[in-house]
Amino acid sequence: MEWQEVVVRLFKNKISLIGLILIIFFGVIAIGAPWIAPPSDPSEPYMVPRAGWGFEPQPPSSEHIFGTAEGQYDIFYGIIWGTRTAFRIGFIIVGISSFIGILVGTLAGYYGGWFDEVVMRITDIFMAIPFLIAAIVMTTILGQGLRNVMIALITFGWMNSARLMRSQVLSIKEEEFVIAADALGAGDFRIIFKHVILNTIFPLVIEASMRMGSMVITASTLSFLGIGAPEGYADWGQMISFARNWILGGEGNAIKYWFTVVIPGGAITLFCLSWNLIGDAFRDILDPKLQ
Amino acid sequence: MIDLSNEKLIDVNDLKTYFHTEEGTVKAVDGVSFEIYPGETLGIVGESGCGKSVTSLSIMRLIESPPGKIENGEILFNGKDLTELNQKQMRKIRGNDISMIFQEPMTSLNPVYTVGDQIMEAILIHKDVNKKQARQEAIDMLTKVGIPLPEQRVDEYPHQLSGGMRQRVMIAMSLSCDPQLLIADEPTTALDVTIQAQILELMNSLKRQFGMAIMMITHDLGVIAEVSDRVAVMYAGKVVEYADVKDLYGDPKHPYTWGLMYSIPHIEKDLERLEAIPGNVPNPLNFPEGCKFNTRCQFATDKCRVDEPELEEVEEGHYSACWHVDKLEERKAKEEA
Amino acid sequence: MSRVLAIIGWSVPTFVFGLIMLMIFYGTLGWFPPSRLDSWALDIVNSTGFINYTNFFIIDGLLNANFAIVGNAIRHLIAPVITISILWWAFIMRITRSSMLEILRRDYIRTARAKGVTENVVVYKHAVRNALIPVVTVAGRMVLGLLGGLVITETIFNIKGLGQFMAQAAQQLDYPAVLGGTLYFGFLLIVINLCVDVSYAIIDPRIRLE
Repeated sequence: MEWQEVVVRLFKNKISLIGLILIIFFGVIAIGAPWIAPPSDPSEPYMVPRAGWGFEPQPPSSEHIFGTAEGQYDIFYGIIWGTRTAFRIGFIIVGISSFIGILVGTLAGYYGGWFDEVVMRITDIFMAIPFLIAAIVMTTILGQGLRNVMIALITFGWMNSARLMRSQVLSIKEEEFVIAADALGAGDFRIIFKHVILNTIFPLVIEASMRMGSMVITASTLSFLGIGAPEGYADWGQMISFARNWILGGEGNAIKYWFTVVIPGGAITLFCLSWNLIGDAFRDILDPKLQ
Repeated sequence: MIDLSNEKLIDVNDLKTYFHTEEGTVKAVDGVSFEIYPGETLGIVGESGCGKSVTSLSIMRLIESPPGKIENGEILFNGKDLTELNQKQMRKIRGNDISMIFQEPMTSLNPVYTVGDQIMEAILIHKDVNKKQARQEAIDMLTKVGIPLPEQRVDEYPHQLSGGMRQRVMIAMSLSCDPQLLIADEPTTALDVTIQAQILELMNSLKRQFGMAIMMITHDLGVIAEVSDRVAVMYAGKVVEYADVKDLYGDPKHPYTWGLMYSIPHIEKDLERLEAIPGNVPNPLNFPEGCKFNTRCQFATDKCRVDEPELEEVEEGHYSACWHVDKLEERKAKEEA
Repeated sequence: MSRVLAIIGWSVPTFVFGLIMLMIFYGTLGWFPPSRLDSWALDIVNSTGFINYTNFFIIDGLLNANFAIVGNAIRHLIAPVITISILWWAFIMRITRSSMLEILRRDYIRTARAKGVTENVVVYKHAVRNALIPVVTVAGRMVLGLLGGLVITETIFNIKGLGQFMAQAAQQLDYPAVLGGTLYFGFLLIVINLCVDVSYAIIDPRIRLE
């Protein structure tokens, strides 16, 4: 299936259209952050400004469109700049882990034999460890901070890509055109790249788009638990961690502080949703053809 | 000899089953008529895609509806029109009065239930017996279809049996309620030739035992010759020739049938070449105007490209849908000479 | 429609969902409180008259014939259970659905219909068991993810369990605790995978004989 046809179908499918619009929406916000929410300290744009030192979160008002979180962090600012953080986290993690996965999977599948076995066992070991636990453990070791979170997630996020890639390679390897290229004397690398990877990229695209969403969720979970972004950083999960006390502590009043949870939580949900919609639509478009 | 004066068991009149897909309407069955008399075997022969399976599924009302639909026609079973019945009523008939077996014995049985279970299911639905009796009946059926050690086999799973045995199980299942008609859709196509012969023999002997009619659908002319009493040849959704089996093989009166006969080796004829029919079966989304065979027919004239011929009685009991049967006869006479 | 629901369910982060659940059902309505028991119930459980056989409050409540405890314990369980599982409901729903769609296209389904089997029986007897096979595979691997969700849920709902333990240990950089907890998780995993394999054999007779 040609790229052009895929794109056209993406636009036609209502579900993916919504996803696409959402992503573009987020993208625009991310790019336009400096204008939409000008930083009070240009050298540290990711630190959310505080409107005071009071503890209690303030509801949305004309001054703070989304209200303030505990410690008077402006939620609106956090959401806008948090969009950038989300994209950054997503792209870096998915990009690097996919790259690793593709590399590992392709090599394992192409060369086969004991190399393949060894690589697969290593992959299995990594897969056997529960994702969140592993991420927590690793961040414990590496220390707090977004960068370490990203490292942790990359370390445990490449396996699915690797397996996918490997199975694709295995099925393509025996296809005639690969054998033909080999017979014509095309070098190993050329064969791998041109024929194998380009033909098997589609399921990976599906997988990658789904993982954009799940990685952002995991990263925000870690921030929420206090292991990720430092306090006051513009990260959606981080902002929700402030909300914890107010939701649990308040008796009968919790809903008053809805904005501390719903707004950042909604941002995460919508972000993830949009990627999932696109990934799902991709799967619809590409799957019956693949079969 | 079949007594044709009996009440017709099945009377299909101008059946039209279309499939409405995104790419267009597929006229899988486009005006098909035939009859089946009690106790006889009607062979339906044609290439893949000619509509023979869809015809049988239409009779059983198993067409997936969207996108398929029986647009027109009546299917009379003992006088009752099956197209007018609802699914609940059809279910009483399926497996009971009319049974069907399919091409792929390897995948036609549910892998997670025992063979006996699946046979008993049919029995328990349609007959008023308890489980113990049903089990005994299932074992009896297995014996009748020639499966050794039936008391053991009845508790085995499909994957433990070979293809030939699975097909026997399918036959047992379909005959368990003593149907009046058995529809067999390419029952031997997926089997080895030796097993094929066994299965056909089994079907013939069971037919005599149970006194049922068989609708045998296949693309294999050899099979048709062996089991049928009468034959309907289908092409592109229509019946193009309809006759007694001996008349069909001895004296085909449609260019398509004649072409088919000449494309396979004959023990008696001394041919220099096997002539395949030129061209391909037309795309069902885009049938040609007029007679659907005109693009491949050596006798085609302008009339064939415009008007579609209907089945007409050319000799007693022998029908053909062709404008130029006479030309075919001329050509045949030349060949004999 | 169910597919859209499934995708949405899959997109909501567990902790956000948990917090919202708390917000609505506890904070506002007071139906499903966090923790495992209310304070009055805790007093009873810790008193001398109440015998703690298992420390599972529901079971102990039954064994001590104290239904108030049982009711209270259940009430506290509802929100966390829903929170932890909603993600996976969505996932399993999708997989089951696509698996069913796939199975319903199979030949033996057609055979069943040709026998005169009612549509209900076709679906629930013939199709479901076959469709469940890939679902069970996924369910097994999903337990892994469930354990992760445990961490968050326990933290939010203030339930003293393995999850909360791990989260706090990580926060406090307590290496031995983290390692020990991980080891235990690993053990649980193995046990669960065993159960999955056994259930495989129950569902699919083709696997039994090997």
